[in-house]
Amino acid sequence: MGEEIKLIKDGKRLDGRGFEELRPIKIEVGILKRADGSCYFELGNNKVIAAVYGPREMHPRHFQDAKMAVVKYRYNMAPFSVDDRKRPGPDRRSVEISKVSREALDPVIIKEYYPKTAIDVYVEVLQSDAGTRTAGINAASVALAAAGIPMRDLVSSIAVGKIDGEVVLDLSAAEDNYGEADMPVAMVARTNTITMLQMDGQFSKEEFERGLKLATSACRKIYELQRTALVEKYSESVGEGEA
Amino acid sequence: MGFEIMEDIRKDYVYDLIGSGKRVDGRGFREYREISVERDLIKNAEGSALVKIGDTVVLVGVKLEPGEPFPDAPNQGVIMTNAELVPMASPDFEPGPPDENSVELARIVDRGIRGSEAIDLEKLCIEAGEKVWMVFIDIHVLDNDGNLVDAAALGAIASLLNTRIPNEKYGLTGEDVLPIRGTPVAVTTVEIGGNILVDPNLYEENAAASKLTVISNAAGALNGMQKSGSGGLKVEEIAEMVDIGLEKAKEIREKYLVT
Amino acid sequence: MRSMYKVVVPGDFITEEVNRAGEGTYVADGRVYAMKYGIIDDKEEIKVVALSGKYVPSRGDIVIGKIVEISYPYWIIDIGSPYEARLHLSELAKGEEKRIEFGSMNKYLDLGDLVVAKVLNVDSMMRVDLALKEEFKIGGRGRLLEISHTKVPRVIGRSGSMIKMLKEKCNCFIFIAKNGRIWIKGSEDEMNLASQVVLMIANEAHTSGLTDRVANFLDSFKRKKEEDKGKEWEKK
Repeated sequence: MGEEIKLIKDGKRLDGRGFEELRPIKIEVGILKRADGSCYFELGNNKVIAAVYGPREMHPRHFQDAKMAVVKYRYNMAPFSVDDRKRPGPDRRSVEISKVSREALDPVIIKEYYPKTAIDVYVEVLQSDAGTRTAGINAASVALAAAGIPMRDLVSSIAVGKIDGEVVLDLSAAEDNYGEADMPVAMVARTNTITMLQMDGQFSKEEFERGLKLATSACRKIYELQRTALVEKYSESVGEGEA
Repeated sequence: MGFEIMEDIRKDYVYDLIGSGKRVDGRGFREYREISVERDLIKNAEGSALVKIGDTVVLVGVKLEPGEPFPDAPNQGVIMTNAELVPMASPDFEPGPPDENSVELARIVDRGIRGSEAIDLEKLCIEAGEKVWMVFIDIHVLDNDGNLVDAAALGAIASLLNTRIPNEKYGLTGEDVLPIRGTPVAVTTVEIGGNILVDPNLYEENAAASKLTVISNAAGALNGMQKSGSGGLKVEEIAEMVDIGLEKAKEIREKYLVT
Repeated sequence: MRSMYKVVVPGDFITEEVNRAGEGTYVADGRVYAMKYGIIDDKEEIKVVALSGKYVPSRGDIVIGKIVEISYPYWIIDIGSPYEARLHLSELAKGEEKRIEFGSMNKYLDLGDLVVAKVLNVDSMMRVDLALKEEFKIGGRGRLLEISHTKVPRVIGRSGSMIKMLKEKCNCFIFIAKNGRIWIKGSEDEMNLASQVVLMIANEAHTSGLTDRVANFLDSFKRKKEEDKGKEWEKK
């Protein structure tokens, strides 16, 4: 890989952030007309949309669960979302991300309310700068709530990593590519329960603990933003009623 | 339908037993089933290992071929890990393209090999920018009685530790043996009713809502982690699972990976 | 100024009075939490009124359905729910002297027909059985609106106050079914007005003072119409 790339200069990261700083977040609820629930989510340069359809009839029938709804999650990257065009269609990475994301949200969805149905979650990555799976989970949580799906809680997600030996929050693409570790986490803020945890690279046990702590506290901040977006949606959806 | 009902009864049974401190097969909570590792049994593969953990059987084969490097790593070899949940291994495995479980399995094992830098990729360079060794790690699951990850990961590193480089076949010269400088070991635990159990068998895997795989190297550093399953884990539970992961990896490494 | 009811999201803490936990909430560790995204309805019970979500039929609900399949001896009916409903032909054959024959079901109710029905039963396998109301067939020059079933109580209003006002001031026949489907009948203008108002109510269902605002809207619309009529006369 040739030259060593310095990811930290003068105590700051390449994009000027501090070690424990999140990238700017923007959340818009209900941006799609046809979906039952939807959410547009920006995390730094990441742009993702989550859409929920359901509960609806589950096809094929033999995959139905007689006692509860089946949650399906499809994470997909648009071909133009990354620098080197990505061929359309699911690749192995998308398949794995879809699985762990679904498992991140499953614990909070009260599936018993809608037996034999399917709840379909679609996440499309429009622009990618590392952290897309976490942005997707954040967006999907909001979209599920907006669709009226019965849930115990919202789920919030962020990644931590290690760059130039330092444990940092919310890696950008350069940091992910040239860093030493990457750990996406998802959590239920209210109960401090972790619903997604993956790690690759190298972490000492102590770095891992520090990283997890950093991630959980960031998830709590993200939860507040998700909640605010949902609550404020109602204060603005009052249309031109008065004559 | 009949199979589903059986599943429910089994789940309750597993839960009840664990509640009284016992496991279905009589093991302790921190005890692995019997492990056996047989190496170099597939002559057409450059490296191979057959791993059994209890009744789970996984065969891993490693093959090397010259190929093109990735453009952003012109002097590094390439690792490709794939897993097949062969239909004979379980009534639940169907023939066809890799499903999410086999993709996840392969990617977790791959993560451990990469994260630990067990293979010095630069030593696999034949001609910078043109030709490098591609290392194909193929995981063939033959019998599924739970905890495929640990068996597959152990099989992968055990195979790699005695993998030949087929220079002659391609008219090349160089090292005979794949240079391996790390021994990542995966340890999987599940949480059932607040209890942490290592090396879940199939019943326990199905009864558990959450599973955590912890991969670590000989220096005690963490090289990979994956939570799977539709449950949630408390931070304290994760901490315990990491401790067990480090402890058990050391035991397994010393017993099965020291040549 | 429009005031807002309190909006909650899933997981929001509501109260410790576990015995008052109503629809849209769940209880955990002796506390009541919101299970849905909606507004709090704090009366004897504390409920969360969801503002989105699919209609799940309950026994006794009156629904408007559309015939989507004929599968002897049932008509399969779409009721805007993840669950399809079915109508047994004996429900229609009640008044008939002859039995309805296989192959002639479509003469009674055909694909695409709209009916008003009552949910007879929903079994544990989520099979929904319907019975027809007397005046069951919906047809003729009318309009079918579809809003979220969650807004139906608002369109009806407390003790029917809102729907009463709509019927009077729009001068339309309006029938609201539990599954969010609304059948209106009147002149083009009247139906347009009714549609507009129904959509307004659906969009502002979460605000208070809605009944007054709707009344004002309807009155000012009437006034404007009369003004326009007056102007027309002057031209002549």
